[in-house]
Amino acid sequence: MGDLPLDLIWELFGYSILAALVAGLVVPLVGSFLLVRRTGFYGVTLPQFAAAGVSFGFVALPWWQTHMSWLLDAESLGDESHLALGYHLQWAGLFTMAGLIGMTLASKKDGLEAGRVAASFAIASAMTILFSHASPVGEIYVHSLLKGEILAIDGHELGALAGTLALVAVLLAFFRRELTLASYDPDLAVVLGKRSKAWEALLMLLVGTTVSVSVMTVGPAVLFGLLVIPPLVARPHAKSMAAFLLLSSTIGVLSAAAGVWASFHFDQPLGPTLVAASALFLPASAVATRCRG
Amino acid sequence: MSRTVLVAKDASFGYDKNSILSNVSFEVNSGECLGILGPNGAGKTTLFRGLLGVAPPIRGKVVRHTKRIGYVPQQGHMDPAWPLSTLELVHMGAFARLRGLRRLTGLSREDRRLAEANLRLVDLWEERRTPIAVLSGGQRQRVLIARALMAAPELLLLDEPTAGVDKPNQQVIFELLKNLIDSADRKPGAAKPAVLLVAHELTWITQITRNVLWVEAGRVRLIPTDQVASNLSASNHFFSEAAHG
Repeated sequence: MGDLPLDLIWELFGYSILAALVAGLVVPLVGSFLLVRRTGFYGVTLPQFAAAGVSFGFVALPWWQTHMSWLLDAESLGDESHLALGYHLQWAGLFTMAGLIGMTLASKKDGLEAGRVAASFAIASAMTILFSHASPVGEIYVHSLLKGEILAIDGHELGALAGTLALVAVLLAFFRRELTLASYDPDLAVVLGKRSKAWEALLMLLVGTTVSVSVMTVGPAVLFGLLVIPPLVARPHAKSMAAFLLLSSTIGVLSAAAGVWASFHFDQPLGPTLVAASALFLPASAVATRCRG
Repeated sequence: MSRTVLVAKDASFGYDKNSILSNVSFEVNSGECLGILGPNGAGKTTLFRGLLGVAPPIRGKVVRHTKRIGYVPQQGHMDPAWPLSTLELVHMGAFARLRGLRRLTGLSREDRRLAEANLRLVDLWEERRTPIAVLSGGQRQRVLIARALMAAPELLLLDEPTAGVDKPNQQVIFELLKNLIDSADRKPGAAKPAVLLVAHELTWITQITRNVLWVEAGRVRLIPTDQVASNLSASNHFFSEAAHG
């Protein structure tokens, strides 16, 4: 594909390139909060729950078509692509929220939180494989999602991703101070009359929404990479929360741009290439940190 | 003029409905400075969190007659993973006043001026852009005091403000608190804040408080500070243990 002219690449893969850039811009903002809340593992586990939800959607499809046909009216919901996106999104969202609520509510006092999140990852991975195995169509689709083949993104998917992530970014920008306060010092939030739990719930809702929609469009691999790596690269170089968020997002966009270029140049799947490009920032960041002393 | 800012009436504090402290009753008036003292594990932190409103009493009631509450946690509780600058941390103290579009644009000009004044007061204005994670324990504690002052507090609650702080900085913090308590007198129209202070340093407590809440064996007693000082034979053991970690 490295030989294709640019205008043809844009015509064929414009939606995918834009999706990668949009995800690179916003997903690291959500990941930044996960990282400093010491819940970075959620960035790996939640996309796996969403993938399990997508594969469960294929298993449930025959039952759904029989009993919930009034909800599957393609004419009233737009074309089939829109309908399929909505259908799988509901399962991805449901599984993500269930995983998120389970991990959030589990006791943190016994010091076993990391173990529980790791167990959740194992369970979600197993569910993804088992549900996929039960539905041959689902198996092909989920395999493609996991492999990070995001070149087939259509206009509906890009619209859903861009619309959702724009809303997430606006809410994060608007409420970032309260979200920071409730996460960093919940006691002070209570003293100041803020509803600490409500802000925490909003943050979790933003995380869940981002993960559900992103898994359905750019896939778990890209999501893993963008949730975790840019914030991890940015953290040692940020001297304020504002700088941290800005730097994370910038590294996310640069990773997406470099990933897109490398994917076409070396003819590799876009998803994993984007993550590899993002990972190159890690040693560069370590060297910069060491040089600075 | 002095007024009551905090009342505890027959309050019991604890966790999961298990009472650790029972029948706690006292009042704190503006201008009053109370120490919270007692052996380790007696329930000082439980009482502190109950008075703060973070862990409401499981029986009885605690009434705070003001919303202007300043809270100074132990600096060791601040998570260094967060890349907050000194100024960002101080601004947090004014987040109660964030409404509508202020959420997007940030603090008002008055609050920014107040943050500058408070950081100058604790002698850390030059460090405003420094991440709090790289400040010393003593500097971090001073930043937390500056943050608490953003509420222009009528009630100031401090949880062991010198814990994990070296001796010279302990003295700086002590002088700072003493000045804060005294300086309100010099401002026209400003009421002196009521101060509640969990501490291990008895030498301090005797200099800035007349009474202490003595926490021991599930009870809280309001006693004169000199009574604590003159009956230290048993308590000395606890304080020296606490001082040596």
